[in-house]
Amino acid sequence: MSAIPPIPLTTLAPQSLGVRTHCPYCAFQCGILMGEDLGGGMPRVSGDPNWAVNNGQLCIKGWTSAALLDHPQRVTTPQMRDARGEWREASWDEALDFVAAKLLAIRERHGADANGVFGSGAVTNEKAYLLGKFARVALGTANIDYNGRFCMSSAAAAANRAFGLDRGLPFPVADLEHAEVIMLVGANIADTLPPMMQWFDRQRANGGRLIVVDPRRTPTGRVADIFLQLTPGTDLSLANGLLYVAIEERLTDERYVADRTNGFDAVRALAIQYHPARVERLTGIPESQLRKTARWLATARSAMVLTGRGTEQHSKGVDSVHAWINLMLALGKVGKPHSGFGTLTGQGNGQGGREHGQKTDQLPGYRLIEVDTHREAIAKVWGVEPSSLPRKGKSAYELLDSCGESVKSLFVMGSNVAVAAPHLSRLLPKLKSLELLVVADAFHNETSAHAHVFLPVLQWAEEDGTMTNLEGRVIRRRVVSRPPFGPRSDIDVLHHLAARLGCGEKFAFRTMESVFNELRRATAGAPADYSGITYAKIEQQDGVFWPCKSDDDPGTPRMFAEHFHHADGRAKFFAVEHRAAGEEPNAEFPLFFTTGRYKEHYNSGAQTRTVVKLQNAQPIPRLEMHPRLARRHRVVTGSKVTVESRRAKVEFVAEVTPDIRPDTLFAPFHWGGQAAANLLTSAALDPTSSMPEFKLAAVRIVKVG
Amino acid sequence: MKKRLAIIGNGMAASRLLDELVRRNATDSFEISAFGEESRGSYNRILLGRVLSGSDPEEIALKPTSWYAARGVTFHSGVRVAKVDPVGRRITTITGDLHPYDVCVFATGSSPLVPPVRGLKGDDGSPRDGVHVFRTIEDCMAIRDRARPGSSAVVVGGGLLGLEAAKALCDLGLHVTVLHLDAVLMNAQLDKSGGELLRRAIEKMGIFVRTSTSADEILGNGHVEAVRMRAGDVVPADLVVFACGIVPRVEAAKASGVPVNRAILVNDLLATQVPGVYAVGECAEHDGKVYGLVQPIWEQCAVLADVLTGANPRARYLGSKVYARLKVAGVEVASFGITDAEFPTDEVVQVFEERRGVYRKLVVRDGKLAGAMLVGCAEAAPALVQMFDRNEPLPPNRLDVLATGNAPTTAAEREVCNCNHVTESAVVEAIRDGCDTLPALCEATRAGTGCGSCRGQLTTLLANHTQTTLA
Repeated sequence: MSAIPPIPLTTLAPQSLGVRTHCPYCAFQCGILMGEDLGGGMPRVSGDPNWAVNNGQLCIKGWTSAALLDHPQRVTTPQMRDARGEWREASWDEALDFVAAKLLAIRERHGADANGVFGSGAVTNEKAYLLGKFARVALGTANIDYNGRFCMSSAAAAANRAFGLDRGLPFPVADLEHAEVIMLVGANIADTLPPMMQWFDRQRANGGRLIVVDPRRTPTGRVADIFLQLTPGTDLSLANGLLYVAIEERLTDERYVADRTNGFDAVRALAIQYHPARVERLTGIPESQLRKTARWLATARSAMVLTGRGTEQHSKGVDSVHAWINLMLALGKVGKPHSGFGTLTGQGNGQGGREHGQKTDQLPGYRLIEVDTHREAIAKVWGVEPSSLPRKGKSAYELLDSCGESVKSLFVMGSNVAVAAPHLSRLLPKLKSLELLVVADAFHNETSAHAHVFLPVLQWAEEDGTMTNLEGRVIRRRVVSRPPFGPRSDIDVLHHLAARLGCGEKFAFRTMESVFNELRRATAGAPADYSGITYAKIEQQDGVFWPCKSDDDPGTPRMFAEHFHHADGRAKFFAVEHRAAGEEPNAEFPLFFTTGRYKEHYNSGAQTRTVVKLQNAQPIPRLEMHPRLARRHRVVTGSKVTVESRRAKVEFVAEVTPDIRPDTLFAPFHWGGQAAANLLTSAALDPTSSMPEFKLAAVRIVKVG
Repeated sequence: MKKRLAIIGNGMAASRLLDELVRRNATDSFEISAFGEESRGSYNRILLGRVLSGSDPEEIALKPTSWYAARGVTFHSGVRVAKVDPVGRRITTITGDLHPYDVCVFATGSSPLVPPVRGLKGDDGSPRDGVHVFRTIEDCMAIRDRARPGSSAVVVGGGLLGLEAAKALCDLGLHVTVLHLDAVLMNAQLDKSGGELLRRAIEKMGIFVRTSTSADEILGNGHVEAVRMRAGDVVPADLVVFACGIVPRVEAAKASGVPVNRAILVNDLLATQVPGVYAVGECAEHDGKVYGLVQPIWEQCAVLADVLTGANPRARYLGSKVYARLKVAGVEVASFGITDAEFPTDEVVQVFEERRGVYRKLVVRDGKLAGAMLVGCAEAAPALVQMFDRNEPLPPNRLDVLATGNAPTTAAEREVCNCNHVTESAVVEAIRDGCDTLPALCEATRAGTGCGSCRGQLTTLLANHTQTTLA
């Protein structure tokens, strides 16, 4: 009973519990209250009852998040390799001198683009902004990208093309409560965004209905009114098939299509080829359910489709998202109250991280690096010549795949690529062959195992900054914990490196707020305009939704009600066709393999696997398998099963469950080493977003025992 | 110099082939032209029922005439090809125009089968007013014009197409009688039991069905007045629609010296024996089979486009597995593969639910699905056809694959505490067993002892259910 505090926390005034800040993990960015460590099993972290996103709820990860602070495995001193290749401690000066000298030497010998930078959707807006600037200005390299490429890039690309702008949710999460019908596609909220379930509970309490699409009957799927257990890789066909039904049954909103969109004719000519018999065969979803789903979405006064990585992490991820957007546009739902299309961003700052120049093709404010006017605007803020800015470089996977070849050094901030990238057996030797691998993080992880230099940096609760949550709401993280002696802030690290590279004055920021103020100037007039957002406004309004263009602009909680962000104000349809995945199951590799997350762990597990409570609750990855398949291979729960794809073999412990399709295997990707699910996945990339195909590999079972 | 690729026909096969060619950038290496007899661009025949029931033909358009020009494809609309000269590499139209080509593809499709029935033509030799087929938009518009509420229609043919036409006419308020030659409706896809249940369902919709019979003579003075059936019975009718099968259109191929059996003979490359001449779709016969459904035809188009463009010169068409689905709202029918055991070792699994009108049958060979039919409820069909497509072994208990596994989970099974997997029903039970405080409830159920985020919900449950006990 020790875990139950004696006093109900909600009866206390918030200020007596600590400072208002946000959880370090996912894009829901739960409001938390954080106090001093009182010992005696009293939690340091509690849910902020007055934060209108999570309303006091937290998941087990948030609840235990304070364990990351004062953690015994925390690295507090810069580390370099000794003569035998073992870690040894170094001073900051020695480490930074070494890194800077190497970067300069590589630039000298191989050109600026030989230095690569790999960022993260977990870092604050300020750091994301500064890392992009560091790459372009201090290193002069085109090769910067980030792990959000593995997360949000497909949805972001499709939304930008269809609406002219990508903001994960174009409405506050509270709008969910009033949506009559919500369809979740490839999004397992109950495990990946647990405190968000309250909005679905409220929606259902209001008489709303929920449709869930997933190859697994997840905890989210179990509460759905309609559960569609689709074949992996067929989301696009399902969406087109629903549009077929809508067209056939005259459920489309012709008025809306005529007034607010372009390009429907081509989409209709294509969609009418997705007759139910074809879609059934591809998706495995019976016609009766297709019709019911289409009717529910179309006839509800308000309806939303929300996608997750399940539909996006495919080599046709962008087209799949387009298919969902097409459907909602044809039904006339986008921009209507409590309706529309949204994507559920994954990483803590997955939204802000993709807006401020960490992506190789983008500059701050969602500006494009290949557009001259955008280059000029940013060059002016940075005080450099537009021509000095690099062009578009390699996307995340291509960048990693070039390591040891055209890319000689990699500077990794806040990302664990050695777990989170696809086709790891190909990547790991490449990481090892780098002349310089620098990891800036708070803990060692699978990536730093191959690094030459480890730079210990501050953690979430130890420094200030802003994040942009999955609603597009810019929020404040505050300093609530005293850092140990030794680690430095990332902005400090970048400043000192820049100084050694000869442009320290461009990175001389004394506070996070001053970085943010430069970010505001850099995004003024850009698609993702933060210029009217201040730390004070965030404080007053409980966050500010971008775009926010001036001091008296309160921000934009809801988008697209009047117009879309293309020049003519209309949304665009994109005619998208089903196509095979990078590899489809065949006689040799007959099963689908797909990946996902556990409630207890976060992404590569670099943080959560160090938290004892979480690790105890979910110590190993388990391979989910349908009883029918299990019987054929004589597998029971607990059997050791070796799964093989064209790239690798991985041994898992089996969990037999009727909740998964009989043709599909599932494993979580939180673990590295021999248990890494991403040893099996393939690097087939989406042609538009460069998203790898994490959600579909063809595999076989090779050994049981 | 670009090669000239001529596609003879502008139906669904030609349209699909054009899409597949364009997708492979074929217009970079070919000058493509399409010869269509109908004046409009291609449209989706699968949705003809829509036009019959009143839709604008534009709604089922696949390619407006502007599509062709925009992609650099020459569209000869309203042009019928008489023959091809494969040596001179020229196409001759029935009006005598000549069009040179380098490669030509027959995609001439098929025409409706109209059995030899007396009285099809009026006394003056012209087609009798009120007799129709169900094949083109024009057919549908003509039927629509004649189909007035209160009129009566006879549909000849009780297969996929005939039943669809019958339903559309019935929905327009007509008195509809279906005549079917076989004793079993949809006998190509169903066995006797399946056909019987289907008949019941069709009749329940208000359509009259007469099996083991066909039209013998069309009666009427000028326009149709009645149909005389085989046994001599006469059914009054204002409208007769023939939907009893198709005949591949091979006249032009025959006239060109291209070998034809039931249809134009092609190999795995969709090539005919005549160099430079290919065929796809309903006019093509591959390995003894002529396909009349859209999926196989699409598969052929993909292979031919691969071969012609060189995108994948080793692409081969190896035949298709056909999945048939009746498109009549209100009755579900799905069928694929063989409909009955063919060898003594074949197993047959049948589930017949007479009252519910549901029939499900599997034919199993070597532990794998060789065919299945579902009437009345086809929820299991997609999973079954996927197993058929992939040649997947069936579980030892064959009935397992008929379970759709889609039963909704009841609300009571909702998990309150995700950390310790405690369901709402378990919490409610504990409250009823006397846990009336939060700590007691947590101790008894372990709910709320993980992350603690569910304690709000536990408190609400406590409040609600303790009250109930008191009241």
